[in-house]
Amino acid sequence: MPAPARSRRRERPATGARPAARAVWTALGVLVIAVWIFPVYWMATTAFKSTPAMEADPPQLWPHTPSLIHFRKVVDDPLFWDAVRNSALVTGITVPVAVLVAFASALAIARFRFRGRGTYLAAVMLVQMVPHVALVVPIFLTLSDVGLSDSVPGLVVTYLAFILPFAVWTLRGFVASVPKDLEEAAMTDGCTRMGAFRRIILPLTLPGLIATSVYAMILAWNEYLFAYFILASPDKYTVPLWLTHFVTSEGTDYGALMAGSVIVSTPVVIFFMIVQRHLAAGLTAGAVKG
Amino acid sequence: MTSLAPSRRSATTAEPPAPARRRADRTPYVLIAPSLVVLLGVLAYPLVKVVILSTQKWGVAQIFSASSAPTFVGLDNYTKLLGDSAFWTVLLRTVVLTVAMVGLSMGLGLGIALLMRQVPAWCRRGMTFALVMAWSVPTFISTEVFHWITEYNSGVANWALGIQPHNWYTDATQGLAVATAVVVWGAVPLIAITLYAGLMQIPSELVEAARMDGAGPWGVFRHITLPVLRSLLAMLTTLSVIWDFQVFNQIWILRNGAPSSDYYTLGIYAYVKAYAGHDYGLASATAVLTVVALLGVMVVYLRQIAKIGELS
Repeated sequence: MPAPARSRRRERPATGARPAARAVWTALGVLVIAVWIFPVYWMATTAFKSTPAMEADPPQLWPHTPSLIHFRKVVDDPLFWDAVRNSALVTGITVPVAVLVAFASALAIARFRFRGRGTYLAAVMLVQMVPHVALVVPIFLTLSDVGLSDSVPGLVVTYLAFILPFAVWTLRGFVASVPKDLEEAAMTDGCTRMGAFRRIILPLTLPGLIATSVYAMILAWNEYLFAYFILASPDKYTVPLWLTHFVTSEGTDYGALMAGSVIVSTPVVIFFMIVQRHLAAGLTAGAVKG
Repeated sequence: MTSLAPSRRSATTAEPPAPARRRADRTPYVLIAPSLVVLLGVLAYPLVKVVILSTQKWGVAQIFSASSAPTFVGLDNYTKLLGDSAFWTVLLRTVVLTVAMVGLSMGLGLGIALLMRQVPAWCRRGMTFALVMAWSVPTFISTEVFHWITEYNSGVANWALGIQPHNWYTDATQGLAVATAVVVWGAVPLIAITLYAGLMQIPSELVEAARMDGAGPWGVFRHITLPVLRSLLAMLTTLSVIWDFQVFNQIWILRNGAPSSDYYTLGIYAYVKAYAGHDYGLASATAVLTVVALLGVMVVYLRQIAKIGELS
């Protein structure tokens, strides 16, 4: 079953769909769209309102006089660019390393029978279930012991550990769904094992690799809890941490916060839209296809 | 699930070619070594450390002075914890919240996945777009957006409900309801899209055949849809329980990093004990108990994993 889930999409059987029922379903569908899009819409429109417009009563459902004042406040802060650089660094290192390491493990699990394979698989999954909050204190202490607390490498190593279980699991599904016969045929035709890997497995698991990269990217780019615990100096802050400085005990600067959020979310949303099909297919490949 | 992937099974049981098999002795270990190092170093070692910490007195004195080593106190931290009525209140609150969050996320997720099969293509594309959009918004941002929507004076929710000004956070029940909404809003996209992808794997001949045999919509759902989705549902429910039981970010951010005690969940309780109370021993004991409480759920999930492990 190498085909991804969506290629098996079939026309819904025409029987039994009465027009009235169909109208109700469509109305519900539109409601779902509204509920899930509204917070995102509200974030984006708030970012473009001046402060008096934000507090207008009744609320402006769209910015009547669009303003860039909040965006200016964000991009004029030198610490914002520090944070963007730190986040880009953390994400840029974490993603390729995580995908490479996870892919190697996925190959081992899907293509080799070896002693300890089942134990390894169970351990990987067990580790994923340990509450992150439970590990905050010991991870912080462990990183301090080796001098990695309050540092970018410390954060990268931590994120690697949290990405790996999911990434190994997803990639395993993709590798396992490439028929071995294909590789064997390539080797019969004169490919080396490495050549078969490069020409057969790599292209066929590419969607999985992309999906895993995006998952890793979102986690590394968005993570808040561990960054909050591990980083102490403001010049090492990642973007999520930097954004929280708009929240103070005197009140929250929602305009700047929303503008910052728009800037931060945009790259993630774009990447995600591009690859979401692969991600859903990958999740199902891992879970359903065995 | 094997009926859906007959070709795969026969493919994986085929013998690997001889040269690969000879080399296979070492190769898989080399391949898993890097991930093993990271997982052992960052997750397993700290996990062991949590257990050790939980049996020690580990406070301010131990952090700031090298001479006062942590002392072994056996199960003192646990007895202290279990004897504290606040702990039981927190545990009960965490369980109730988890049930509400998981129930709502799974119910809505499954409902939306089924709905996506019933609506016209334009509507389905719109739903996918909205869900994916919501999925990609970072938790801390979505939480702040909900915070803003429920803001005392200018929150659009208060205006829409005609109750402005209204403080959602003086009453913890209302505040936690907002937290639940944030969690569910963020969790449903993954669940709905994954389940929808699972639904696409149901052969329509199967549904047709069942209809011919006189099955109504409910019969089709019960006898075809549910069995096919069972492993996905088990996996998603278990993961949701694990994620929601540890809920921290949403409540933490909604309460501006200073939740009052009627907002405490186990995660927040452990954090407050560790960082504000400087009692790492007690915090670690809380963490260990959290893991133990989750073990029951994990067993179900691990059995699922083991089943898939056997197949491939």
